Amino acid sequence: MSALHVLFKVAGAEYVLAAADVLQMESFTSATRVPGTPWYVAGLVQIRGRVVPVVDLRARFELPAVEPSLDTRVVVVQQGERVVGLLVDSAREVLSIAPDLFRPPPDVVATQAAGFVKAVAQAGGRLVMLIDCDRVIGEGKLHDK
Amino acid sequence: MSRSVDFREFVSGFLLEAEEHLRSASGNLLAVDEAARKGEARPRAVRELFRSLHTIKGLAAMVGVDPIVDVAHAMEAVLRAADRAGGKLSLAAVEQLIAGSEAIEQRVRALAGGGPVPAAPAELLQALVELDPGESPGPSRAALALAPELLAKLTASERAQLTAGIEQGKRAVRADFIPSPARAAEGLSITTARERVSAVAEIVKILPVSAPRTEETPGGLKFTLLLLSAASDEAIAAAVPIPPGAVQPLTTAAPEEAAPPDVAEGAGPEDLPGEDPRRGGVVRVGVARLDDAMEKLAALIVTRYRLGRAIAALAAEGVDVRALRQIEGEHGRQVRDLRAALLTLRMISTRELLEPVPLIVRGLRASTGKSVRVEIDAGRGELDKAVAERIFPAIVHLIRNAVDHGIEPPEERRRGGKPEEGLVTITCFERSNTQIEIRVADDGGGIDREAVARRAGREVPRSDAALLELLALPGLSTRDQATKTSGRGLGMDIVKRLTEELGGEVLLRASPGNGRGTEITLRIPLTVTIVDAFTFECGAQAFVVPVAMVEEVVDVDSQEVVRSPGPSAGRLLVSLLSRRGEAVPLIGLHSLFALPGGEAAGRKALVVRRNGEPFAFAVDRMRGQQEIVVRPLSDPLVKVTGVPGVTDLGDGKPTLVLDLVALSGTLSGKRAEALT
Repeated sequence: MSALHVLFKVAGAEYVLAAADVLQMESFTSATRVPGTPWYVAGLVQIRGRVVPVVDLRARFELPAVEPSLDTRVVVVQQGERVVGLLVDSAREVLSIAPDLFRPPPDVVATQAAGFVKAVAQAGGRLVMLIDCDRVIGEGKLHDK
Repeated sequence: MSRSVDFREFVSGFLLEAEEHLRSASGNLLAVDEAARKGEARPRAVRELFRSLHTIKGLAAMVGVDPIVDVAHAMEAVLRAADRAGGKLSLAAVEQLIAGSEAIEQRVRALAGGGPVPAAPAELLQALVELDPGESPGPSRAALALAPELLAKLTASERAQLTAGIEQGKRAVRADFIPSPARAAEGLSITTARERVSAVAEIVKILPVSAPRTEETPGGLKFTLLLLSAASDEAIAAAVPIPPGAVQPLTTAAPEEAAPPDVAEGAGPEDLPGEDPRRGGVVRVGVARLDDAMEKLAALIVTRYRLGRAIAALAAEGVDVRALRQIEGEHGRQVRDLRAALLTLRMISTRELLEPVPLIVRGLRASTGKSVRVEIDAGRGELDKAVAERIFPAIVHLIRNAVDHGIEPPEERRRGGKPEEGLVTITCFERSNTQIEIRVADDGGGIDREAVARRAGREVPRSDAALLELLALPGLSTRDQATKTSGRGLGMDIVKRLTEELGGEVLLRASPGNGRGTEITLRIPLTVTIVDAFTFECGAQAFVVPVAMVEEVVDVDSQEVVRSPGPSAGRLLVSLLSRRGEAVPLIGLHSLFALPGGEAAGRKALVVRRNGEPFAFAVDRMRGQQEIVVRPLSDPLVKVTGVPGVTDLGDGKPTLVLDLVALSGTLSGKRAEALT
């Protein structure tokens, strides 16, 4: 059984997330910064009445920052009880990927995204990377404990 | 006949009710426990306990949780026997009853957690059965005595209806109606019989019973009517109509000794003036539903701001908006009233909050073998149910610490010239109309600072605040637990976290000498939903701060500002503001938050006070004052000191709500660091 995945781009690379974990995708203009949060927290946005913290994936992956554009999206994901937005360069495709296509990430990928990639898949002639959401947004939880 | 009901809804209703009855049961258990120690009887508490368990049993049966039914049933039997014995229970019985109520509680929790409910513990059931003298004489009133074949055809609720009727003093009878062609010719059928009987009796059920075809029952069928009535057998027989002998009682006769001795109402030490535990007209509502209503109110308030803005825009265009303004004002007042009404719905009394404490202390007494009593002064405060639920575990931690680590063993206390029995006092009082203080104090040996410092691998703390900081180190508690060495710190990190999550504060007063006890105070907000707030700007960003937090908004006159001598704390711009002869540290919010803008700004400053010490925060511009809905920030990514939540000022963007008092707390910490 193939599962639907949301595909998005960060600095030219393509990433996916299981569509089941994605609540919605919203355009982005600005976020309210919260002083004292980690550098990769872009701030807070209000999406459909809900206040959502946004993680800037460029910052998280330690890539150079860019100004938000019309393509910029916030991919809102649900992780357990938490709802967090991921700020990405663009997100407009949904792909169907069979689970057995996913392989452990090669070393080169793992170093580039610093362990934020759970697996990679060759889908429709392109290489996509499955984001490890827990890692990406879990940092706060770690230093909280 | 079975309506389709959402089972989960059903279960959640059960959970709420069960919780309430368990709470009332635990209060009564304590009363009987105390009485058992003194060898006294508490007939009323025993009866109330019985009532609670009986209700729990009934409810549990309705949702089909047999383990709870079993335990409650066994406890009920013990209590029934105790009631007959004049309300006296042995200590052993109380012990088992407490174990039983704990077992029920565990199962209720398991059900709430959606997990499987463990079976009733067999040893417990056995112990309870052994306690029941088993004489089970005839019940105080007449008891329902149905032939098994009839009983099998009744539903639980029909049985309950019959029992309830009997308890109300009605008679339960059966009347057999036999249809026959002859009767039919007279115009008599079961339909007419039903109509006529219902005039003199309450029909619980009509059972068709097949019978051998005889002369008596030519149709091979008869109907058995199960009735509740105050009328005589003759009157019922005449109504059907049937011969008077065809009406038979469904009950066994009431034994004459009925009333247990010495249960005269109004006697006994427990009948002191107090609250009637039976609260009238109570509706149980889950917190989630209240939260939902609150959310909707929040949306309404946001709409109100938008309305205000639209009116202001019209006014700016030169439109006459006086009538609109008047309506707006009225609307505003109504929203405020509605908000106040909703907030009250969510409040529970501090007395209710602390209700389970005596039982907890009792358990600690048993597990530690220490002799301790607890004194509770719950005061008259009320706090939000959500706050109460979150802070209660912290209170339990503090009590456990006090008994486990604070109170010394009896022999040691005797040597120290103290009464053998240790004392834990819990005091609650409203500090202001937004804050409540809960203080847990013990008269134990106090905290051994050297030992704590050694364990933490730090210097011996000189102040109570520094000591608290060490105690709240996460590592400390685990080591403490592992080595079982006496000393404080068990779970203090948890207490601190739970309190601070609510925007509260933990204060410690440790006696400097030995043996003078410890006192820990939790200062928590009563509720944290909607507050009156100042809005202001700083570095082109809007912020709000609750009005209650701000002592004064001052104009920063450059004449009165002096740079603090020497290198100021870190890179922070701290100067001193002279205010009525008091030197107040003035902090630019720009520099604190690394916002664009600079020193030239800061024409206004907000003055707050923390532990009596004033702090002033310089901002660019004050915008105004309005009511805001605070949405707490809970995600770990954005959980920082000084920003407890956000609000929507009507522009659809989150605006940070600042806790300047907490922010000044981080500053004084930084300053202290900078000084050492």
